[in-house]
Amino acid sequence: MTFRLTCPVCGKRDIYEFTFGGQERGPRPEQEGLSAEEHFRWTQFRMIPCEPQEEWWYHAQGCGVWFRSTRDPGTNLEVEGAADE
Amino acid sequence: MSEAPPARGNPPPGRLPPGPTCQVDFSRPLDFTFLGRGVRGFAGDTVASALFGAGVRTFGRSLKYHRPRGLYSMEGESSNTFMAIDGVPNECAETTALRAGMSVRAQNVRGDPRTDFFGLIDPFDRLMPAGFYYRLFHRPYGFWPLFQNGLRRMAGTGVLDPQRDHVRDGLRAERYMNAEVAIVGGGAAGMSTALAAAESGLRVCLFERRPWLGGHLAWRVRDFEGQPLYRRAEALARRLRAAENVKVFTNSPVTGVWGENLVTGFTIGAEDDPFRECHWECRAKTVVVAAGCMDRPLVFNHNDRPGVMQAGAAWRLARTHAVRPGWAAVFSVADDLSLEAAVDLADLGVEVRGVADAREAGRQDPAVVAALEERGIPLLPGWAVSRAMGRRRVRACELRPLDGGGSSHFQCDLLVANGGMQPRIGVLASAKAKLSYCTHTHTYQPAELPPGVFAAGSMTGLRDPRSIEASGRLAGCRAADLAGGAASARRTDTARRDADALPGPVAGCDIRHGPGIGRGAKAFVDLDEDGTYKNVKESAAQGFDVPELAKRFGGFGLGPGQYRVTGQNLAMIMADLRGDPVETATPTTVRPPLAPPSLATLAGPGHDVHKRTPLHAEQAAQGAVFRRAGPWQRARYFSDDVTCRAEIRNVRNNVGILDSSPLGKFRIFGPDALNALQRVYISDMRKTRPGRCKYSAMCNDMGHLLDDGVIVEEGDNDYYFTTSSGRAGATVEWFRFHTRHDGWDYNLVNLTDVLGSLNIAGPNARKVLQRVTADDVSNEAFRYMACRRITVGDGVRARCLRLGFVGELSYELHVPSSYSRYLWDLLMEAGDDLGIQPFGLEAQYCLRAEKGHIIIGAESEARVTLTDIGMGWMWDRHDTASKKVGAPALRACEKQPGRMKLVGFRVDEGQGTPRDGALVVDGAEIVGYVCTTRRSEALGWQYGMALVRDGNAANGATLSLQEEQKPGERATFSATVTSPHFYDPKGTRLRA
Ligand SMILES: [Zn+2]
Repeated sequence: MTFRLTCPVCGKRDIYEFTFGGQERGPRPEQEGLSAEEHFRWTQFRMIPCEPQEEWWYHAQGCGVWFRSTRDPGTNLEVEGAADE
Repeated sequence: MSEAPPARGNPPPGRLPPGPTCQVDFSRPLDFTFLGRGVRGFAGDTVASALFGAGVRTFGRSLKYHRPRGLYSMEGESSNTFMAIDGVPNECAETTALRAGMSVRAQNVRGDPRTDFFGLIDPFDRLMPAGFYYRLFHRPYGFWPLFQNGLRRMAGTGVLDPQRDHVRDGLRAERYMNAEVAIVGGGAAGMSTALAAAESGLRVCLFERRPWLGGHLAWRVRDFEGQPLYRRAEALARRLRAAENVKVFTNSPVTGVWGENLVTGFTIGAEDDPFRECHWECRAKTVVVAAGCMDRPLVFNHNDRPGVMQAGAAWRLARTHAVRPGWAAVFSVADDLSLEAAVDLADLGVEVRGVADAREAGRQDPAVVAALEERGIPLLPGWAVSRAMGRRRVRACELRPLDGGGSSHFQCDLLVANGGMQPRIGVLASAKAKLSYCTHTHTYQPAELPPGVFAAGSMTGLRDPRSIEASGRLAGCRAADLAGGAASARRTDTARRDADALPGPVAGCDIRHGPGIGRGAKAFVDLDEDGTYKNVKESAAQGFDVPELAKRFGGFGLGPGQYRVTGQNLAMIMADLRGDPVETATPTTVRPPLAPPSLATLAGPGHDVHKRTPLHAEQAAQGAVFRRAGPWQRARYFSDDVTCRAEIRNVRNNVGILDSSPLGKFRIFGPDALNALQRVYISDMRKTRPGRCKYSAMCNDMGHLLDDGVIVEEGDNDYYFTTSSGRAGATVEWFRFHTRHDGWDYNLVNLTDVLGSLNIAGPNARKVLQRVTADDVSNEAFRYMACRRITVGDGVRARCLRLGFVGELSYELHVPSSYSRYLWDLLMEAGDDLGIQPFGLEAQYCLRAEKGHIIIGAESEARVTLTDIGMGWMWDRHDTASKKVGAPALRACEKQPGRMKLVGFRVDEGQGTPRDGALVVDGAEIVGYVCTTRRSEALGWQYGMALVRDGNAANGATLSLQEEQKPGERATFSATVTSPHFYDPKGTRLRA
């Protein structure tokens, strides 16, 4: 398995340079009154769609930026044009 | 391929006179040993061609039945000729270039492969039906280990020498490339592709697994358009070598094509290469696969006997290696190329006694039929071989008409058999091309190609050399257009018209197996796993009647030959057994690597890539023993004494100096710096004060302890903080990840490598420090946990942190890395009469453990939370607004029963010495383990810290420790739970 991602700073680079930050699941929930169940659902539960999803990636071997990428786990490939948004 | 090599040297008896396509140089003998006996081969030989030329016919024994096996494909398509070469098992003798001095041994045999003791197994095959591993030996289960050992001894595939350093034996290299067009295969099609693509000025890489270019043209001497075919290949190769933007890699099998057209493979080092094997990856915009064809094996009775060979193997032995494949040959083939081989071998002096062609009369190329007739070779259309005869090697064979009728016997020592040609679909399959059965060529053909992938050449069913070249040229134009070359629609259109005007794919043959198959004889579908036609039937009868299931059940295609030998035949036979039409046959999935690189190559060159601190040389001069710690080489000991008694004593009594440069050091500043700190640190970070060190920790979202360190406020929203050495590399990523949605404005700078760090610790530390600075460092002016900027020596500005990790008065000095050596020398000189001595990581480890200061990863692990470890006091539990990482989890599990707790313990006197990792048991139950335990000179007893279940963690409770100190010997110790603050529990020494 291999593919490339488009870093907003460095451009299209090999996947080996990035670390995965998981699916985009929105900002951290408010902690006031947050139940344990809600917290663990936010940290642990994931849907695994076979369609493009928004993800976080970190350009660890590059410029060190966290960025969102839209990628299709079915093909592993970044969805074209998503990086231009 | 260069110019046709002139006939070089005189061949020894048993070898043929070298022809124009011969790659062997008989003027360069290479002596090696086989089973300890001396054998002579020549430059250009493979191990197998040299052995065959020297008369060896049995190369090894088969996996299950220990049947003798011989040279079969010359391409490494089966494990028949896998041998141990220079102690490395499973080297493919057919493709491994011969080197002088090699020591070659047969595998899977006791002694000589000709007379293998286990060969007695063969007649008892009824005991080993398909799937016998799973069905027979697992009941009763207790017997399995017995069977397993016996089977492993008999059914071996070589023995690995664990003592040998496979990685460092021969240099392993890596190479990473980019190209617009990558081409797999250096035959006529691949070379034509490269030339066409190169015209558009793009970067072109061509990978050829053989040592030379030309594909099957390289050994064909037949005249075509006024010149022999090999000349045609030479002309292409010459033009290719002249093209500046084409990089040609020979000896370079491709292991797979991956996402976004990453082509991977390896190059086998030639004699003058500086590596033995080089792994490479080529990121290509487009990939053209022109991998060619191989013989489709013919399944018939005793088709594994030494002397049964693929047409390509017999032909190349003669034409490429000048080895006589046999004296009297019979062919049972199904395509014109193999008929040409029969004609050519006859011309080289092999007596071809008969040629069976599975195709009916009239489907052969008339020119080849005429050539056979001219030589008096009988052609039997619609016939095929039904069995090979001879026990240890082929002595005769029986041919039969496919539609029934009488048989014909032939004496022969060479039986060339195939069911026609099949394309090498592996590369296309690994690129995720959709393949389907083509009823015209009777091969698998790409029905749908992934973006940027093209197929060309004989693998698409083309046989006419002009068609093959035209298909390559067309693929080259299309690939170049797509890859952004100087596009020329007209050029591509012309290439397409040229290709269309030439002969298209040639009709193939759908023969499944020889006539009269089975009947008490073994007919192998898979040579590697000893999978027979009968086994396929058994598998189908058990309900495993599609190739993917049969593969798991009977092991078909699991061996090194993978889909290549087995794939198409298994699929066709299975379709027959199910009564389905042949086009429904689906082969098993092709698995990479398509060619096997050695594991040592994948392991890499074995460089120890590490960082050295600025004080490496100074410490080495003091006798430091360095050990790897994360990316660093760090001083672990300063003597042979691994308990470091002298180093520890000196810190407790005088003063020690430690290089702590790998410590994580960061500056965070900007309007939202405090917000970011509040997010990732578990304490209330508003409580930092200028000039004071605040100790705090980070947790992950599960509340597990991740890191600890001190934070110093240096200005408004400007902080300096430290992390553990192990977390230094991940800290920026961590901060930015957990603030990624907030849009906060802060800068975070990793100063770990920029700043060196030195600790001086011990009762004399202040005296030493005061001697190198004019600033007041008295206890009144510079309190415990304070941080000051001081000037040392000739004006070096240092951050000085008064901390007490090792439990003594100590100062940590952070200076620019380039001043570290100056500072070291300064302190060593100043402390000389006070007994200053360096200490290493092990001494520090013991000193801080005596004090009960934890190290994350030693006294914590992935399941341990901040509260488990007894550091809940630092958590700002009322803060919900900062959304601290880990706070909700700590809230949820703080009072959870049954959690592990960190405790101190004292081992009761008069027992042996338990070690780190010993278990804590309660009756028969394991309730925890020892994190760290040492004997302390300062305390006079054995202390330790353990993670134990809360029920066993009460102060004063007795712990039962258990450890296997010698194999099979369980030692038990008793210990008493105490506070982990063993040494100076009130901390008076830190504050002195
Ligand atoms: Zn970047």
